[in-house]
Amino acid sequence: MSNPLADMEKPDVIFCIGTNMTEAHPVAATRLKKALARGARMIVADPRRIRLAEMADLYLPIRVGSDTALLLGMAHVIVREGLADSEFIATRTEGYDELVDHLQEKTPEWAESITGVPAALIEEAAVLYGSSDKAAIYYTLGITEHICGVENVQSLCNLALLTGNFGREGTGVNPMRGQNNIQGAGDSGALPNNYPGFQPVDDAANRAKFEKAYGRKMDLEKGITKVTALDQCGDRIFAMLIDGENTVVSDPDQEHCIHALKSLEHLVVIDIFLTETAELADVVLPATSWAETDGNFVNTERRIQRVRKAVEPPGEARPDWWIIGQIAQRMGMSGMDFDSPVPIFNELCELSPIYAGIDWDLAEGGQYQWPIPYRGHPGTPRLHEGEFINGRGKFSFTDYRDPAETIDEDYPLWLTTGRRLESYHTRTQTGRSEGINQLLPEETLEVHPSDAARYGLHDGGWARMSSRRGAVDVKVETTRRSPQGTVFASFSFAEVPINVLTGSGYDPITHTAELKVCPVHVEPIAEGAKLAADLVGE
Amino acid sequence: MNVTNSETKTTRTICGYCGVGCSLDLVTRDNRIIAVHPDFDGPANQGALCVKGQFAYDYVHHPDRLTHPLVRDEAGQLQRATWDEALQRAAQGFMDVEQRHGRHAVYGVASGRTPSEANYMMQKFIRVGFGTSYIDNCSRA
Repeated sequence: MSNPLADMEKPDVIFCIGTNMTEAHPVAATRLKKALARGARMIVADPRRIRLAEMADLYLPIRVGSDTALLLGMAHVIVREGLADSEFIATRTEGYDELVDHLQEKTPEWAESITGVPAALIEEAAVLYGSSDKAAIYYTLGITEHICGVENVQSLCNLALLTGNFGREGTGVNPMRGQNNIQGAGDSGALPNNYPGFQPVDDAANRAKFEKAYGRKMDLEKGITKVTALDQCGDRIFAMLIDGENTVVSDPDQEHCIHALKSLEHLVVIDIFLTETAELADVVLPATSWAETDGNFVNTERRIQRVRKAVEPPGEARPDWWIIGQIAQRMGMSGMDFDSPVPIFNELCELSPIYAGIDWDLAEGGQYQWPIPYRGHPGTPRLHEGEFINGRGKFSFTDYRDPAETIDEDYPLWLTTGRRLESYHTRTQTGRSEGINQLLPEETLEVHPSDAARYGLHDGGWARMSSRRGAVDVKVETTRRSPQGTVFASFSFAEVPINVLTGSGYDPITHTAELKVCPVHVEPIAEGAKLAADLVGE
Repeated sequence: MNVTNSETKTTRTICGYCGVGCSLDLVTRDNRIIAVHPDFDGPANQGALCVKGQFAYDYVHHPDRLTHPLVRDEAGQLQRATWDEALQRAAQGFMDVEQRHGRHAVYGVASGRTPSEANYMMQKFIRVGFGTSYIDNCSRA
């Protein structure tokens, strides 16, 4: 997030797009509710009539995968109506004149023809966002899990740059991170393009720094993403070490994923349960859980916070850092013999300019948000105050592209996937929590009543849903949360492996899968005719 | 009536679910979590927790937890092994693959759920071990 969580209570206008925040980030959503109670106005763009949509002043029911068109249409209106912040544009941005040319044809009527949202509503949203003093954008995977995820984010940045909504309280472009330490994973250098602290690997000076620190020669080339690595299993990739990820259930195109992992010569999985992924491994190593380990998590607002061991692990389970270090030492690697997480975190801080001002002891109180460039620096709750890190903010000349697959006679419905409040990801944890299982015992497919009637489905009955990659059977729930022509399910239940269906395409830059759009066909089935959901069997 | 002399202990930590980073207290007794209390001064949550953070902690003590290493035997079955055997098998496998297919044949997937120290070790394992950046985390899916 460009701005701290506390800023969520401060905007005059809130624009939520592709975020089901009351379910996926419920505690953050309480901050927005406080802002609304104070009188803030809210625009929500989402294909589904989610809880946030019910709370909104303006709800824009967009067709899945059409976000860029909506955002270009809004930018057109902001320019046309003279709502652009000319001082901010003159002093802090570049490319405005080219953007104005680029937006010429991106009228709200053009946007309506793609998004299905009436032009008048698009105009109203643009005027509301563009004329407020403090407007903040919040988004989640509904923006990024598309083949055009990068263009979607760039289009959001255009809106904030046009209206000067950066670097001040209650503004910004704010992605809500989905996992407790997904920010920390990137910060720590678990990326194919960056060393720790987001230092690019293809920069010779960075390479020299890490060659010296790590005592070995290093490639100047970027690595490959996990998506590419899975594609190359059995061809160029022959061994994997997977720590705490249930790849088989969480990733798109499940059949492809299982085949990839099975074609490895050596697979080592570190986890707390024998997940569907661990079942494929040659070696499974038992890790400590969150309540049994010391370390640091980094949250969505870049805040570094200590996690502390409260109970002893079961049996012989050991901390992840210890397990990785032990494998490394048996391979003769140096610099991997740590006896606690403290020197590991301190090494990360020493090598990362964004963490240079802290160490394990200073992180103890949880008050630091990076960047913390030097000792004594208070941290940076709000990014882009005064100036952008790279100088001026650049406008992007984005354009709309169709999703990788679009609906047709064979696959006439859009499937979009997501999360539910009670379950978390692939349910390795929440599926083993008794109370949660009572609250949400099974997956359902959310279908608009008129679609249900059209395809012969009924509430509580079963449907077989197929895509170009596979089929799953799922119980039907008729609801007006789903618009006509679009159905919804979460990917959380291994018994209803929705990711058998997904995987039509990937963003060419980030390699993020288009998990939010998948054309499907649905038909009623008798419950007894269900497919067996045997994930990893032959 | 059972009388227990064990003491209740409180540990301040951060929720392990989503990226909001709610601060909370784990209340434990006899090496088990018996309650979660929100931290009213938590910078991210100010005393709030959701249904997962407040109640979904019993998985920690679930009988399905892995309690010892497993190694696949010649018949293709995962069998209990000692740490030494399992770590040796893990290490040898990576060395064998590197020897047969080169250092670009080994890949690491780090977790968005583990602490930063585990992520740092994962990337260092790949970079020190193989001189590549064949490492990613689970943020793309």
